[in-house]
Formats: sequence, structure tokens, C-alpha cells
Amino acid sequence: MPDRALTEVPLQFGEGGRSFGILTLPDTKLRDPLESRVFVFLSAGFLHRVGPHGLHVLIARELAQKGLTSLRVDLAGNGDSLPRNELEYQQSVTADFKEILSVLESQLGDVSIVLAGLCSGADNAIRLAVNHSRVVGMVLLDPVCDKDSGFTARALGFKARAFAGKCTALFRYMPWLNRRIKSLITPSSDAEETMDNLSLRDIPPREQMRAAFESIRDRDGRVLSVFTEYALRYFNQSGQLGRVLDVDRYEQYCTEIFWPHAEHNYPFESHRRELIEAITTWATGQTQESLA
Amino acid sequence: MHEAFFFGPDDRQIFAVYHPAVGADGRVLTVICPPLFAELNRTYSILRKLAVALAEQGQHVLRLDYSGTGDSFGRLEDMTISDWVEDIKLAVQEGRELSGCSTVRIVSVRASALLASMSIGAANDIERLVLWDPIPDGSKYLQALNREQLAVLEQHHFLDRTMRHKLTCDYDMYRMSEQMMDEFRTIDSDVYSNVPRNKLRVFNTTSADEFPVQGASRDTVRHACNWETNTEGLIMSQPILEGLSKCLTEH
Repeated sequence: MPDRALTEVPLQFGEGGRSFGILTLPDTKLRDPLESRVFVFLSAGFLHRVGPHGLHVLIARELAQKGLTSLRVDLAGNGDSLPRNELEYQQSVTADFKEILSVLESQLGDVSIVLAGLCSGADNAIRLAVNHSRVVGMVLLDPVCDKDSGFTARALGFKARAFAGKCTALFRYMPWLNRRIKSLITPSSDAEETMDNLSLRDIPPREQMRAAFESIRDRDGRVLSVFTEYALRYFNQSGQLGRVLDVDRYEQYCTEIFWPHAEHNYPFESHRRELIEAITTWATGQTQESLA
Repeated sequence: MHEAFFFGPDDRQIFAVYHPAVGADGRVLTVICPPLFAELNRTYSILRKLAVALAEQGQHVLRLDYSGTGDSFGRLEDMTISDWVEDIKLAVQEGRELSGCSTVRIVSVRASALLASMSIGAANDIERLVLWDPIPDGSKYLQALNREQLAVLEQHHFLDRTMRHKLTCDYDMYRMSEQMMDEFRTIDSDVYSNVPRNKLRVFNTTSADEFPVQGASRDTVRHACNWETNTEGLIMSQPILEGLSKCLTEH
């Protein structure tokens, strides 16, 4: 097809074709025969495989331009995949992943996997990485991370700067101010909604997260973690995740990016572009310094 | 069961899912035209359920993603209204070939109602056009998109001044071409008037009926879709599903 260095194949797979995903294959001219990695984008929350604002589609097609293959999937009960009502959520995700591995093997042979996910997609990636030796990389968008010893002091600094910013451009923040006053009078504020959003996540405990990172290290893989404004409640400095996990050789295979200017779901095109650039740069093995 | 595939011109392959009629010869094809941008994700699940429900009631169903949206190819910023209007025509044609049906119904949501009405116009080969919370005209739609953008911006305190100014002035959440925005501005309520009234069926979820054509059949199921204020929450209402299904299956 003209001007298209990629092909996309809709795949119905699993028992009775219950699961659905789209495989993005780069043009054969761009494919490196030694490249065995396939990026698997896990759907997050109730969103289907395209991701928020089409993010997964954009990243998949950009990766294909760099010669990399990917699969964006609907986990059971999302998009075009049937639910597994008989299973608990984590069992269902594990069953999905078995089917994903199987279909990738049937389509592409022996592959290794880079799991990518936003929010609950990141949580699932971490859990799956521990027990599946094929997983050699993770792209974690707003994973949850414990606070470190300097967190509170830095958070105060952030709040002070944000407050100063609001005072210098008060007119811009009048709607925010109105909402804050309203929330003090009637306690059903945005803050509560945001907290609910975080509490809805089935967050992997620190030990499991550490095990996932160690597994990736032992498989000679790499991890990219990106934190946005959403993460400010628990993360506020690049390097915090490494300090919290305290995994040997962390800096050698892990990259942390902190973008407090970007929003969790990347609603703005400029931020989506920034993220896509970061992921493709990371995926094609550019230096960590160029990303950090 | 369903079948997903790409079809259409080489330079902007359209993604579609075909749900064949279950257990019947299926004489009706329904084409589902989703809403645009954030509303696409919000309604993905309910429109899929609608497709399954209609297929179980003996209709063939085709769901599509417009070029440059969802899983379809093409860059959004390269798309024009004419491309999307053409997408609907192509989807109807594709659905007819797959199903062998001559009776075609279309259900379209929000701004898609404008596109579907433009697409079928006075053509007599579409039997019914169901419009779920139709946007009255293109200008109002652009205004609504801009309000959404401003509301999202308001929540982000860490954007620098230059970026904030830039984002206030455009539709960065949905980067459209100038041509598309100009085209939206010129779409007025006449696009609905061009469709014979007996084919139109308006499905509202609020009592604020802004649909500009008198005499079109109307159904209302009250549900707070909050199209303009909630850009992320899924719409999963069973009454809406049943209401839409009724609009598309009733004789």
C-alpha cells in the first residue's frame, strides 16, 4: 500500500476466538531479522485496545516505522474480547496472556515480549512479567510507586510553586478556586474522585514489583517508566522508583521519565507526540541520557 | 461471532467489524456510525453490545471507525468531512456486499448524525436513519469541543504559559485540519432537512431536544450522558441499549 510501511492484521484468537487484538507488522524492508521483540499493549480500565485518545494505535504505527512489531489487545470483557465471568480479574488477565503468547507464537514463531500499559495496564504488565520468561521489557505509564524519604519535602515544594503560580495568574485559576471553595462546603471534590481512581487499581505490592524488575534484569531486558501529573500523589522526582525498589544495576537497564506537565491519559496531541517519541527512542535502543 | 477487517481505499483503510445475523437469513443491514473523538471511546462498548443484540434479533450489522480515528488508517489532521461522509457510503456498500441485504438502516451518534445525514441525503436506498443525541450543527459542535478543551486545560496547573496559550486557541485534544474545521462551520441544520422526515428517528437522552427538524419521530430515554462535561466515563446504560435496539428493530 502506498506510503505505508506497515500492515495491520485483526486477530481473533483464544478459545472459540473469544479474544481480539490487532497485530501491526512493519514492512519487510524495515524488519531486522534478529529482532524478536513484540510490543504488547494491554488495554487499561474500561478502554479498548486503541488506548486513550488512540495512543496505542499511534505508538504501534510509529514503532512499525522503526521496524518493530506490536499487538494491541482487548483484555477479556473490554472492546471486542468476551468476558471471562467465571474467573477473578487477575486469573482472567493471566488466561488472556497465555492466549496472547500462543497467538504470537503461531503468527511469528519464537518471540520475546515487551509489555506496555497505562495505569492498570502497567499494573498487569508488572504482574505478568514476574512469571513469564518471554517478557524482556516493560513500558510502564504511571505505575504506582511507594514514597521515598524525600517525598514529603519535595511535595511541599511542588505545592508552594503551584500556589505561587496561581497567585500570579489568579484570573486563570478562578474556576479552580471556585471548585475548591465548593468542595470545602460540599465534600464531593475532584480530589476525592481522583483518589477513587487510584484506589480502584489492583496495585502490585512492592515485592512483586521488585521481582518483576529483577526478572527483566536477569533476562537482559529493559524497563521504561513514565510518570505524569497523575502520579504526583506518590511520585515527584525522577529516580524515586529506583530508590524505592533498590534493585541491583537498576540504572543500567531502567529509565524513569517524570513529566508533571502531562496528564495521565495524554489528552493533548503535543504530549502524545512527546510520549511516542520517548517510547520509540527507548525501543530503538537510544541512550538513556537522551530520554531522562 | 464477528469478523474484523480493513476495507476501502489503499491510503486510508477503514477498520470495521461485521456481525452476521444469528440464526436467520437476515434481511436488514444496520450500519453503526460511532461518534467522534473522546465520545468514540465512551460509546465503544455500548455500540458493540448494540451490534450483538441486533445480530441476535436477525439483523446483519457493520460497525466502522472513521478514517483517522480508532483503528482505521489515516492521520486525523489529514482528514476532511468529505472523507468521513465517503466512509459511510463505503461502509454501506461493503455491508451490502457482505450481507446481501437491500434494506439498510443507519444509527449514528452525536456529530456522526451530521455526517450520516450528509451521506444519505435524499437517497432512497436507506430505509431508516436513527440519530442518537444528534449535534444540531457543525458550529455548535466546534464550540462544544473547544469548551471541553478549556475544561481539561483548567485542571492542569503545570502547563507553561506558552503551551497553555497555544492549547487554549486550538483543538489540540483532537488535532483537525483547518479544512475540516472550516467544513464543520459550514454544516448547518439543513443537512437534516434534506433527509425525508419519515426516515428520521431521533433518540434523545435528555429532555433538551435541540433537533432542528419538526415532524421527525422521537424517542427519549433519560440518562445523564454528560457529553460535554464527562470526556472519559463509559456509557453503559441498559435502557439506552434497549431504546436504540427498539428504534432499529420496530416496524
